[in-house]
Amino acid sequence: MDKSPQESDIAFIRALAELLRETDLTEIEVNREYGDDDVLTVRVARQITAAPVPVQVGVPTAPAAALPAPAGVPAAADPSDDPGLVASPMVGTVYLQGEPGSPPFVKVGDVVTEGQTILIIEAMKTMNQIPAPRPGRVKRILVEDGSPVEFGAPLIILE
Amino acid sequence: MFKKVLIANRGEIALRIHRACKEMGIQTVAIHSTADANAMHVRMADERVCIGPPPASQSYLSVPYIIAACEITGADAIHPGYGFLSENATFVQIVEDHGITFIGPSAAHIRLMGDKITAKDTMKGLGVPCVPGSDGGVATLDEARKVAASIGYPVIVKATAGGGGRGMKLARAASDMETAFTTARSEAKAAFGNDEVYLEKYLGAPRHIEIQVFGDGKGGAVHLGERDCSLQRRHQKVFEEAPSPVIDAKTRAKIGKVCSDAIARIKYSGAGTIEFLYERGEFYFIEMNTRLQVEHPVTEAIYDVDIVQEQIRVAAGHKMSFTQDDLVPNGHAIECRINAEKLPGFQPSPGRIATYYAPGGLGVRMDSAIYDGYTIPPYYDSLIGKLIVHARTRDLALARLRRALSELVVDGIDTTTPLFHALLDEPDIQKGKYTIHWLEEWLARETQ
Repeated sequence: MDKSPQESDIAFIRALAELLRETDLTEIEVNREYGDDDVLTVRVARQITAAPVPVQVGVPTAPAAALPAPAGVPAAADPSDDPGLVASPMVGTVYLQGEPGSPPFVKVGDVVTEGQTILIIEAMKTMNQIPAPRPGRVKRILVEDGSPVEFGAPLIILE
Repeated sequence: MFKKVLIANRGEIALRIHRACKEMGIQTVAIHSTADANAMHVRMADERVCIGPPPASQSYLSVPYIIAACEITGADAIHPGYGFLSENATFVQIVEDHGITFIGPSAAHIRLMGDKITAKDTMKGLGVPCVPGSDGGVATLDEARKVAASIGYPVIVKATAGGGGRGMKLARAASDMETAFTTARSEAKAAFGNDEVYLEKYLGAPRHIEIQVFGDGKGGAVHLGERDCSLQRRHQKVFEEAPSPVIDAKTRAKIGKVCSDAIARIKYSGAGTIEFLYERGEFYFIEMNTRLQVEHPVTEAIYDVDIVQEQIRVAAGHKMSFTQDDLVPNGHAIECRINAEKLPGFQPSPGRIATYYAPGGLGVRMDSAIYDGYTIPPYYDSLIGKLIVHARTRDLALARLRRALSELVVDGIDTTTPLFHALLDEPDIQKGKYTIHWLEEWLARETQ
């Protein structure tokens, strides 16, 4: 049951992506040399949806380099183009549930009413409940619990 | 030393602060409104955080979001630049309460100098010469008339909470006092939320001479000489030079010592500027700015210092890099503030810069954050750059300035560059013979 080299490579990349998801790492790079003409270099990285985005030093005309999307996530449309996007009205740290250990405010698939709390953003030790701006169904949650967000950062997609 | 400084400002000064930090190995965080997403300092900074929509009140003046940006990036200090929150004592208090270092003086000193009446009282008590005026605020028209009669007309009615040239009304004679007094109060209430006013003698033909001071927060202080900022339009400085054409070394040493002694006595920390009106050999204190000033580069040029780095050093608890004896001025420096404004009316001219070429060469410094293809947002002030020249003598500096101005290209918008070409042709400017009224009188003649 020998896999072809490509199948092995794909399995290897999937394994790396899984490892990334399971841990707190944001990037894994592996360089593997099995022979003179059997070299594989793989890099998987997690896209952080909020600042900081590193800027290339000394290249003022180039836009800021974005981190590549995590491997294994199905090719998704750019969330900032989605009409259902709910963007962050403030700066702070996102929490998806009221308290550590409690269930999250919303899950993908939930139907929410206008004004219903979808998540909390903490700033200056104050918890700010972020309401759904309109009724809808939660299609995607774009932030992770405990991640920093800037003004305008994509939070969720509401259909 | 700080690991990470958050720059709570925008435009050319944000880039200035970023540059100072990078030379010191400090990481920078650029906070910005959505309108400034493509600003040069934002692109160059190590980290960026969008903190709000374009209006300054919802972004650059938004204390909670600036603090939140510190929290999520782990910045350990904030440099406020000038304007915005740089002299907001409440902001300083909140910053300090959150365990973040504010790069600047204490909230108490900011508050002290922010109130023009307590500032004047404090300076008087510290031996700094002041403009003859009312003893504190003047509450009624009757009181105003009495005080004005004793100090002699003409008299200015000034808002306590004003500053930077705002909130002032002139009464040339007793007949003008009622109008001046009542409009000054109502405008002060509208602009600053505080209608308290005081009176000062109006000086006929003074120059605006300010002394750069620096304190280490522990009772040590120095002065870095004067800047002559007399050329102003609507109380906004346009052209500054150091040293002043009318101040000699002896006068500089004397007024400089009075100023550095004053701030040493109150254990002032960081950069500050003590502003005077200077007439017939006498200095008259008008206000103290407890922050970095726009025109600091002319002082940096003649003293060969980096004032922003010094601010960062002292805020981090280090000693100043220099003693008073180290500070010997060298040569002459002139700064022109280039605004995105259309002459002759000075209307704001925001828009896209198609081509930008900065002057260069020996003794030329261009502090600007604009670049080819940059669009100037319409929400903020119109300063787009400062052109600073330094040369061995004032005449050489003027020649260098003329040459550098002719190289400057800002295509796509209107700028005030032609104003400076015209000024350099004026004998009064060439000889350094001007007062705080000179520019407006000249503009009135020129635009007839």
